[in-house]
Amino acid sequence: MTTFASSSDRRRQDSDHRFKTVDYTSNALQLFMDGLDGRPSAQVLDLGPVCQENIRFLARRVKRVYVCDMFIRLDRCLGKGDSVDRIWPELDYPPKSFDGILIWELADRLEDGGVRSLVDRCHALLKPGGMAVVLVLGEQAARLGVNSFVLGQNFGVRLRPQPHLNLPIRGRQNRDILAMMTPLKPAKSFICRLGFMEFLFTRD
Amino acid sequence: MKEQHSNLMKKSILNFFKKGVPMLKKDKKVDMDNKPSIIKGPVEGRTIIGEKISIDGAIRGREDLFIEGSVKGKIEVEAHHLTVGTRGQVEAEIQAANVTISGRLVGNINATGRVKITKEADFNGEIKSKSISVEDGAYLKAVIELTRKPDKKTVPVVKPEEKPASEPVKESFTMAGKSDKGN
Repeated sequence: MTTFASSSDRRRQDSDHRFKTVDYTSNALQLFMDGLDGRPSAQVLDLGPVCQENIRFLARRVKRVYVCDMFIRLDRCLGKGDSVDRIWPELDYPPKSFDGILIWELADRLEDGGVRSLVDRCHALLKPGGMAVVLVLGEQAARLGVNSFVLGQNFGVRLRPQPHLNLPIRGRQNRDILAMMTPLKPAKSFICRLGFMEFLFTRD
Repeated sequence: MKEQHSNLMKKSILNFFKKGVPMLKKDKKVDMDNKPSIIKGPVEGRTIIGEKISIDGAIRGREDLFIEGSVKGKIEVEAHHLTVGTRGQVEAEIQAANVTISGRLVGNINATGRVKITKEADFNGEIKSKSISVEDGAYLKAVIELTRKPDKKTVPVVKPEEKPASEPVKESFTMAGKSDKGN
């Protein structure tokens, strides 16, 4: 029997399906948090889509959590047809403020010039020895759309669709990302489920 | 006759404050349109600052406060709930028990209870609270500090023999070093 569903129903079903099936354990985030353990006054900047679970997760483990959702800013900027450069003044924090920055897969949502601006800012904002987490979704990226990476127990990560965000994905190779993140230094990388790559970078 | 009238006045003023209506300082500007703002929802037990009202100054109150208008300054409703509605525009230092933001808020929040940020919110500032909830899609630039319960076990802060915090990330970089633990 044929059944009909509205486009919104289909989107919801599709989102639910993705939400249920895409999850993995994050080694990079575990290392990231381990690295912050010895810093009682640690400050972390989360550039990802606003996510309540992540805010709570981080706020219980570090002194202060800074949330600046660059995904929604990028979405609004592109939606208006503005230059991506307009989003960078949002990262107006004092230099060397953060022990860690969660970049997620933002780099792969930007053109090359945008990635350079992002990396320069993150480099300036990180304290010496500070860390940054970057994700590359690989071949899954286009299928998955924009998601928040919801942190759970034991560093389990679930993907939660963000239907309000419509951002392009560049689908860069891992080596391209590595090259573009200079002057941040790669420290570890992991291949996760579905071919996701996680990178941990540090600042000298 | 005069004395009776004065007593009546005193009584009505006392009643006014006993009901917990927020006090607005006399020197502060309050703009009001002739038409009343249309606000849905129960009114009892809370004060509503309607869409067409703007306040510049300090607000102190002893009941819940719902803002759909514009407020600039300081808001203190210490044991109560402050709500910034979807049409609310607030630029203020806030002291409250619980805060719900659905409109635009620039400023710092100090809440003894919970802060709730809905997806319609546009918030820029600092939040100090016991707990927080944020809906996906909220436009946020925030510094968040949650009040932590003191640990039952006292753990020494400094361990001289402990490895430096950044130790794990100093390991040499390896492409595709390790597969997912969860698989």
